[in-house]
Amino acid sequence: MLALLGATTLMLVAGAPWVLPAASGGTNLKSPENGRVCIIDDNFILQWNSSRESVRNVTFSAEYKIPGMENWKKLPGCQHITSTECNFSSVKLKNVYEKIELRIRAEKGNNTSQWHEVKPFIPFQEAQIGPLDVHLEAEDKAIIINISPPGTKDSVMWAMDHSSFIYSLVIWKNSSSLEERTETVYSRDKIYKLSPETTYCLKVKAELRSPRRVGFYSPVYCINTTEKHKVPSPENIQIDAENQVYVLKWDYAHENTTFRAQWSHEFLKRIPGSHSDKWKQIPNCEDVETTHCVIPQNAFPEGIHRIRVQASVGNNTSFWSEEKIFNTEMKTIIFPPVISMKSVNDDSLHVSIGAPKESENKSVNQLYPLIYEVIFWENTSNAERKVVEKRTDVTFPNLKPLTVYCVKAKALTENGKWNKSSVFSATVCEKTKPGNTSKTWLIAGICTALFSIIVIIYVVKVLLRCINYVFFPSSKPPSTVDEYFSEQPVRNLLLSTSEEQTERCSIIENANTITVIEETNPIEDHKKYNSQTSQDSGNYSNEDENSGSKISEELLEQETV
Amino acid sequence: MSAEPDVIRKCMWPVCLMGLFVTSVLSLDCNLLNVHLRRVTWQNLSLLRRMSKSFPIECLRESKAFELPQEILSHTQPLTRDIKEAFYEMSRQAFHIFIQDTFKSTWEEKHLRQVQIGLDQQLQYLEQCLEEEEENEDMREVAEDERTQSGTPVPQLSNLELRRYFNRIDRFLKDKKYSHCAWEIVRVEIRRCFYFFHKFTALLRRK
Repeated sequence: MLALLGATTLMLVAGAPWVLPAASGGTNLKSPENGRVCIIDDNFILQWNSSRESVRNVTFSAEYKIPGMENWKKLPGCQHITSTECNFSSVKLKNVYEKIELRIRAEKGNNTSQWHEVKPFIPFQEAQIGPLDVHLEAEDKAIIINISPPGTKDSVMWAMDHSSFIYSLVIWKNSSSLEERTETVYSRDKIYKLSPETTYCLKVKAELRSPRRVGFYSPVYCINTTEKHKVPSPENIQIDAENQVYVLKWDYAHENTTFRAQWSHEFLKRIPGSHSDKWKQIPNCEDVETTHCVIPQNAFPEGIHRIRVQASVGNNTSFWSEEKIFNTEMKTIIFPPVISMKSVNDDSLHVSIGAPKESENKSVNQLYPLIYEVIFWENTSNAERKVVEKRTDVTFPNLKPLTVYCVKAKALTENGKWNKSSVFSATVCEKTKPGNTSKTWLIAGICTALFSIIVIIYVVKVLLRCINYVFFPSSKPPSTVDEYFSEQPVRNLLLSTSEEQTERCSIIENANTITVIEETNPIEDHKKYNSQTSQDSGNYSNEDENSGSKISEELLEQETV
Repeated sequence: MSAEPDVIRKCMWPVCLMGLFVTSVLSLDCNLLNVHLRRVTWQNLSLLRRMSKSFPIECLRESKAFELPQEILSHTQPLTRDIKEAFYEMSRQAFHIFIQDTFKSTWEEKHLRQVQIGLDQQLQYLEQCLEEEEENEDMREVAEDERTQSGTPVPQLSNLELRRYFNRIDRFLKDKKYSHCAWEIVRVEIRRCFYFFHKFTALLRRK
């Protein structure tokens, strides 16, 4: 036992001085491992792992190299670091889209370890979007949100993306966190449709669409909406294009109110910062007492704009209404489609939607993807079937036979950002075919076919009888005649004369000579005919002529034999 | 060894069919995007032309080659998605350049507004289209994630090239202290870039 204890103490005593020279002696100072970079906005952090036997007084230093640099340079902020991470944000990279190389080593006194090279990286591709700073302002039914874009004001990382961030926001009532609402907003935006005097909480994260990147959520911010404002804001703002003018409409319940409307460029929303001074008064929409106003079309330049309306009673003004986005392209007209309906079988109707006839006005039907709203009903009832279709063919199945159904359709723009639709097309009605048509039609068909065959047979019979009567009358003369001409030759008098009979008799007598003549003649004719046709038909005729004549000669020989 | 070409041949058809299927699915929702883009880009091109009567000769000296990365879209079979994303990136960066408030004296406010509106419109169409596609494309994205995890990262190189290009323009403007000539040179350069992209709207249609 004692010996063992002694041995261990010896080991410990011996061990301690063995470790110390390893750390200070520097022959085996281990280089750091697993170097990695973490970039959030413009904060560049380099992290690494040091070898286990980390001893006091060991520090780490890093160097960097970017394209165009011959030698490695000391990485500012990362010299003689005692911990295992350093912040090198002060490097002030001019270009975050170029590859950067880093290397780290451990140092102690004059001893240094081998360099550990970090995998080269492009800062922009590694960068994450940091949490956001959010400022809120409350109205009675809305919250105005003001988000500072990620990074500092002179951020290099997001310098080219300031106008490209979109923000995804989650908002909920403090009392019930279950009912969450997600919205995509710009850096300065408004969240509508809230209740007055309620506490709302929200968190926001920034997103980049391309390259797709999602940031961290901001801390949760809460705010109380104000008590209901005396003068409510106009609601349900709508703008439509009608012959050369725009008609702006809104809903408002109270009387003795005046309204004013303003417009602004939609694109300003993309640019961070306040643009409250960029709203412009809409002509013809200042201090109007009606809930609509007519705006000349040249009031807005071509493009996408926002419109807002405010109500005022005496000196009190309402908050601005919800902003309505509209595209001046809406003034172009969508024409109603042309429809036709056909009954396919006894229980379904096929509706085909065609392009409208070209009109002199500029039509957008060809320019925009359209969908069709088809309304279909039974002529005698009011029950309607509504179908929204992208295709131009719709079939309505399961219909009653022999019933009149009607259909009408209108074209809508598929695009959700500016809803526009044509008027309804003319109504088209069609009767379905009677029930079980296929069977009845089959039976009827067979019956008619049979009947017509009988009729045809009968007609043919009658005809034949007539022909027979005219050209080949019955050889029997009337009985009265028959009594007088009872002998055979006389009875055939009408058809062939006695002279012919005598001639035939004479032919039979010279039968030998005549048949020879008759047989040779047609062959000569045939030969002539052959040569004639082959002459007509060109080159290959020579052979044909020869072979033809050969054949005919052979024939002649055969026949003469 | 001899089995390999056979396997390739066997796999070729499904892959081709898949490719066809994917492209047709992609074009389903934004099938008329090319029409909008073609119109809006052309409009923006002519706006940029009208902004200034002619290129000032004294600025020729300062002119610089910005090296528009033409190869980004010249792959033999660029995916429609890639074209759209490159188009989006280009529109965004061009918008970013034209919203800088430093060139009030160079061009008329009216023309500048029109270009800003036009670029915004270009962006709206692309955003809408890309959004729709994203909704339809969760499956594809999962596949892409798997691909990136399997070792070979697929950075959007073409977009990075575009960023570098616009960064060069941005830096040029800064270096030249947003001078009149610098703006004129940039205007011409962006026109060139638009023209290059305008040609690609035709490619979008074919798919």
